[in-house]
Amino acid sequence: MNKIAYTAFIAFLASILTLLSASALSQSDNEARDDEALDAVTWDELAEHDGAESCWKAIHGRVYDVTDYIPDHPTEEEVMLEWCGRDATEGWENKRPGVPHSPRAASRLESLLVGRLVGEDGQPVMPDDAADADAEVIDADRALSPAEDERLHRAMLGLPLDGHYRGVFTDRGVIQVNITFDLRDGRFESVDYRHLAYRGVDYLELEEGDELYPVRVQYEQIAERLEGEPVTRIFALYEPQRMVDDVDGYSGATLRGAKVISAIRDGLNRGVYSWP
Amino acid sequence: MMRRLPRPGDLALIAALLLPLMVALPRLGGLGGPPELWLTWVGRVTGILGLALMLLAAAVSLRLPGFDRPFGGLVRLWKLHHWMGFGAFILIMVHVLALALAAVPASLDAAVATLFPPVSHGAVWLGWLAWLAMVIFLAPTFGFFGRLHYQRWKRLHLVSAAALFLGLGHVLLLAGETWPWWLLGIAGLGAIVWRKLLSPRFSRLPYRVVAVEPLARGVVELVLEPEGRRMAHKTGQFVYLSPLDESLSAGRGEEHPYTIASSPHDARLRIGIKDLGDASHALQSVTPGSRVLIEGPYGDFFQRHFPSRKSLWFGGGIGITPFVGAAREMAELGQGDDVQLLYLSNSPDRAYYQDELKEIAERVEEFTYTSHYYRDQGPLTEAFLRHHCPDYAEREIYICGPPGMNAHLQRLLTDQGVPASRIHSEVFDFL
Repeated sequence: MNKIAYTAFIAFLASILTLLSASALSQSDNEARDDEALDAVTWDELAEHDGAESCWKAIHGRVYDVTDYIPDHPTEEEVMLEWCGRDATEGWENKRPGVPHSPRAASRLESLLVGRLVGEDGQPVMPDDAADADAEVIDADRALSPAEDERLHRAMLGLPLDGHYRGVFTDRGVIQVNITFDLRDGRFESVDYRHLAYRGVDYLELEEGDELYPVRVQYEQIAERLEGEPVTRIFALYEPQRMVDDVDGYSGATLRGAKVISAIRDGLNRGVYSWP
Repeated sequence: MMRRLPRPGDLALIAALLLPLMVALPRLGGLGGPPELWLTWVGRVTGILGLALMLLAAAVSLRLPGFDRPFGGLVRLWKLHHWMGFGAFILIMVHVLALALAAVPASLDAAVATLFPPVSHGAVWLGWLAWLAMVIFLAPTFGFFGRLHYQRWKRLHLVSAAALFLGLGHVLLLAGETWPWWLLGIAGLGAIVWRKLLSPRFSRLPYRVVAVEPLARGVVELVLEPEGRRMAHKTGQFVYLSPLDESLSAGRGEEHPYTIASSPHDARLRIGIKDLGDASHALQSVTPGSRVLIEGPYGDFFQRHFPSRKSLWFGGGIGITPFVGAAREMAELGQGDDVQLLYLSNSPDRAYYQDELKEIAERVEEFTYTSHYYRDQGPLTEAFLRHHCPDYAEREIYICGPPGMNAHLQRLLTDQGVPASRIHSEVFDFL
């Protein structure tokens, strides 16, 4: 047994050394595959390969044809197909939540490389844009939604002073939203509704089990989730699904977030109600 | 002794070994497909089995009286432990190579990146450190660079705890389902903690040396009296003895295994000790009145396989001690099963305990005693055996003695058609 163990040990070391030296001595052919040498793939072309018959995925600005590999991938086919024809960087970086794929998976991926992702103008989509875990890969020229354009937000709001604010949203002579909040260092604190009603229903009186109660929950989620956020965060409410969850079948996307924006901006327009 | 598989303990071990693999298998994909896929599969499966073997090897190093019996005694358990460590070492190297080779079809660089990724991939580097720790504690075990002194080897073997920790870190970062690894990890590390930290304090019984009786040149029998609780044992079992006598020239506080030569009904514990090394040499002149610590009992030498069958015992050298214990028990009870003892020694003056054994044979009808002297008669022959024990092939056979004698008898008996399952032997060659 001792001889076998020793022989195996030496054979193991020799194999590792051989691998290292062979790799060091051979010219790397991967480096030659820099971006210029790769075929350009546009978002539209990428989107055409969106199914099991042909599945391309963009990861960190490069495009891979994973069609043949899907049946061999340990993950269920359904999950794999979900990412076909679009940017899959997020899935790549989160094999399990927070766990990226391994270097060996990366090396296998390289063998499936078919091109580099470019925008409408033919300019490459920078891999760094996509590497930011929070950001989606965005075509440089694609117009930003009003809900996410930070520069626009700052321009619209100026620099409101810190203090206590009250604002309302009224429609057809009826107050629907009356909101109160503090700003400290430009961030929300103590966001609360003084009044919240629509078509004669006082949402603040609703109780669990009432039909519209989920909507009240969603409005309260807004108040909770603005807490500590910069004041520009309110514009995310143009797409309320960014801020609130679907509750009991009520989609966050249908919530009237604009009413809350209106009420808050009314408060900012009126100026500081009282000093802290 | 490794031949009669499986024991109940073996089955439990196999189940525990396969547990992490079974849990992980659905995530591993299939064995088919191109080389990079099946090599990946092989790499992962060998990694899972290798680490599981390593953790279980640690778990079976648990030395707890009684724990060894489902495995056929501590000696057999030690052999299992040795084989498991060997298997783990080989499997883990296959694991590394298979995963590296699986990346070669992509590129050589990919293979190197698999083995030596950026430091941010800590899991892989933990794996390497675990392997390195494994080399450190296994190299002396497998004699890579010669043999170490037993006590130094034993201290170095503790590096295994580090290897277990690192290996666990490696797998916990990579595995999808971690609970089997927590389970095996706790078993393995728990065994080490028990063995090294708890057991020396809680499971050693203090005894006092009341007499040191010389049996022959270089052989004494220690007579020990319990200071507190008395350890119960069966015949043929052994104990770990740590002498505390300050005047000993070597081995003070070190534990070494010795077979019990006293009857289970004797209030005193008797241990025959032959001068075979530093520690046993020093014990020849241990001071009467000094203290020793006793841990045990271990072993399962006289497991009754077919109690109805007659027995034939072969004792040689200091290997006579388990039979002395059993004969003394018969003498006390005045009866026993039908047993013939063949004492193989070099000459009458090296046949320690002979007078006492002869005397017991006269008193107990079922016990027959025969001596054989190598100096006068040469190696034991089949003719001698048949002359003194005509029905030897029908008996349950127990052998305890030096390795050379054991091998000679095993060969002689199997040549005569005695099935291996009927021959039981115990050799302490690496305890």
